[in-house]
Amino acid sequence: MKFLRKYSTIIRISLQNAFVYRSNVLGGLLFYIVFIFVFFNLWRAIYQSGKVAGYTLSQMVWYLCMTELIAFGCKSNVFRQMNEDVKSGSIAYQLNRPYHYIIYQFSYTFGGIIFNLLIYGALAIVLGLIMVGPIPGFQLSLLPFGIFSAVLGILLNFFFLMALGLTAFRLEDNTAFFLIYQKLVFMLGMFIPLEFLPGWIQRIARWLPFSYVTWAPARLIVAFSWDLFRQVVPMQLLWLAVSVLFASGMYNYGVRGLQAHGG
Amino acid sequence: MKKLKNILYLIGLYFKVNLASAMEYRSSFLMQAFGMALSNATFVFYWWIAFSQIGGRIGGYDFKDVMFIWALTSSAFGASNILFANMFRITTIIVTGELDTFLLQPKDVLISLLCSRTALSTWGDLLYGFVLMALTHGNDGMVWLMFLLGIVIGGLLMTAISVTAHTFTFYFGDASLIGDIALEFIINFCIYPEGIYRGFVRAMMLSVIPASFIVHIPLKLARSFQPGLLLILLAFAALYCFIAYKFFYHGLKKYESGNLIITRM
Amino acid sequence: MSVIEVRSLNKLYRARVKEEGLGASFRALIKPVYKEVHAVKNISFTVDKGEILAFIGPNGAGKSTTIKMLTGILHPTSGEISVLGFDPVKQRKQLSYHIGTVFGQKSQLWFHLPPVDSFALLGAIYDIDKKTLKKREEELIECFELGDLIKTPVRKLSLGQRIRCEVAASLLHSPDILFLDEPTIGLDVVVKQKIRELILRMNRDQGTTIFLTSHDTGDVEQLCRRAIVIDHGEIILDQPVKKLKYDYLNRKIIAVRFNLEQHLDVPKGVVVEKSGKMGARLSVDTRVCSIDEAMRWIISQGGVADITVEDPPMEEIISTIFTGKNTAE
Repeated sequence: MKFLRKYSTIIRISLQNAFVYRSNVLGGLLFYIVFIFVFFNLWRAIYQSGKVAGYTLSQMVWYLCMTELIAFGCKSNVFRQMNEDVKSGSIAYQLNRPYHYIIYQFSYTFGGIIFNLLIYGALAIVLGLIMVGPIPGFQLSLLPFGIFSAVLGILLNFFFLMALGLTAFRLEDNTAFFLIYQKLVFMLGMFIPLEFLPGWIQRIARWLPFSYVTWAPARLIVAFSWDLFRQVVPMQLLWLAVSVLFASGMYNYGVRGLQAHGG
Repeated sequence: MKKLKNILYLIGLYFKVNLASAMEYRSSFLMQAFGMALSNATFVFYWWIAFSQIGGRIGGYDFKDVMFIWALTSSAFGASNILFANMFRITTIIVTGELDTFLLQPKDVLISLLCSRTALSTWGDLLYGFVLMALTHGNDGMVWLMFLLGIVIGGLLMTAISVTAHTFTFYFGDASLIGDIALEFIINFCIYPEGIYRGFVRAMMLSVIPASFIVHIPLKLARSFQPGLLLILLAFAALYCFIAYKFFYHGLKKYESGNLIITRM
Repeated sequence: MSVIEVRSLNKLYRARVKEEGLGASFRALIKPVYKEVHAVKNISFTVDKGEILAFIGPNGAGKSTTIKMLTGILHPTSGEISVLGFDPVKQRKQLSYHIGTVFGQKSQLWFHLPPVDSFALLGAIYDIDKKTLKKREEELIECFELGDLIKTPVRKLSLGQRIRCEVAASLLHSPDILFLDEPTIGLDVVVKQKIRELILRMNRDQGTTIFLTSHDTGDVEQLCRRAIVIDHGEIILDQPVKKLKYDYLNRKIIAVRFNLEQHLDVPKGVVVEKSGKMGARLSVDTRVCSIDEAMRWIISQGGVADITVEDPPMEEIISTIFTGKNTAE
């Protein structure tokens, strides 16, 4: 119980913190609108000039609203924060505090994520309805399964970013990892559905974690099938486990180093 | 004319010092160039997929056309940032009073303040445009000519937009958000075929957010040259920059009168 | 011959009052609330060529506003200013060739570059030809004892070294007047002293007029022959520093701590402001009791553990001026 109270307080504080930076929030919302608007126009033009396999225009727009929702919802400074904490040595001062660093960072970021999901979620729904109307064949009863997958995607992304940030224990400049990771998430799902990519890329991507951040949940929300659910959710769980192990492994490795040699 | 010469001289002067300053922290350059190359590659990948899905044209543009506007946007953005990197910081410069330093010098305030910083990473953006052009347009003379002209005009227009947006700080207080949004808009409207937009947005792209003048009209000229259109392009760019310049100095009067809204308590 | 003439200068701000909160911001957009701030009230003074003038007062007294109006950054609400025969409002550019400025935290130097590169740029900005610039640079390097500092990137210089380079940079174009806004703020005693010496030397050798704002009484005492005290936008005193020193800068604060309990029987001219069992804060009237005498007396008490001598803060001096004036009237 104490455990829960401690970390739920951290979540609450970071949630309040998010409200304070109103102009940041406003700017983010505007960027989201511009982004969706531009891509809506682009895809509308593409659908006018030819057929696109697997998605109707309406599904495509909703797909983008969802992937961007997850992208904006996931947006956190966790990579930079970890990186700085490690490089500045301030992580050493966090060791003797009565909380677990990883869970602390997670709780702190989680407050921001909840906030982002709520406001961007509302915006996404409004934008989608204005531009293309409701999702064809949408069943509200199946939405929780899509949301479940989205939560997995966000967690997976969070722990990978954290692990990459913690590689600063070992590497001078680890920004390259971050950039590559980020771009792979972009290419393997966020901008374009996985189904559009050439077959061989799809087959490889299905075994990699990147598509499970945005593609899997967005696809489940716009075109749910139990078949797909059974395929992607186990993979998400698997990669989530790997990312958590990776992050805590990096952390333990780093802490051992700190205790042995000092900051 | 003498004024223009002075301005060019000042830009050249700052450019030299900027370059020296940038060399002092070149170590991060490689990483930034890498990141830039990676995000640009992402974009090319996107278009490759989009065109391979449907083939033919999107919004009236083929793959090579899209590469032209993308290359031009990238190079114009790079060029404006190499010379005028402070265009993003105008609000900060006003709010923190850094502006005083420029007011105390005998040279043009706006030009000095824009020039007194460079962004090293944007050399990558400038070069990237050239590489992309070389790969997709080879040695087509007219296309290259319009590309080079577009870099100059586009760079100036992007800077002018940023100046205009940030100048609102003189009137309403912190306008950095307006500045960010203006640039985000302009770049977003530059990198896609104009044909994907309709009525109102198209009108915006020909006026307040002049994306069409930055990339789409140079492309039109590269495809089929029309002297009249070129004149319109030049006249518009000159007018837009002139208005931005005047607007800044009008705002500056507010600063000089001390009636800024910024409360520095 | 006077180089600065100011007559009935006024500066009124109309600052928009911005309250916290989204609702308040929105209301302010429709119906702004203004607050008038009378930053400078009807001040007049002149400064002669070659003079070192201190413009002193507490924070927010109107010092910076005045210096900004003299240099053309801010335009006055009413009144006349003439600096070297120029009107700063209409002739800011022409004036800028003839004045130098060091404004506290605002640097003219490029952070990542050695000062010599900034000097080259400033040389070009002020249209100094290469030969003159070279000669001037050498002079300043010698005068300010810059040596190799000039080739070190500014970010690697200490604050004191940076200020020296900063002052040198502002003198490249051989200005007739140098405006210094809080030049010694944040510096330690030794560095402060050094900067003061350099400023004095420059005034002596080159005849540069110096207009200095400060809230450090040390700056005033050691640098200036004349001081103008300003408070709430009004000049409350304009007199030679010698007189100011005698009338108002006549006290030192001595804080002393003893190893053992002391019963203090103070000599004439010394007042106990605060005392505890093991220490005291003493105010010494240096007209009656010199610092030398006061220290001897303290030492003679025996068992001194720690001792510091300070100038009284500017705020205290200002209030003394006010009470002095009131009792005289």
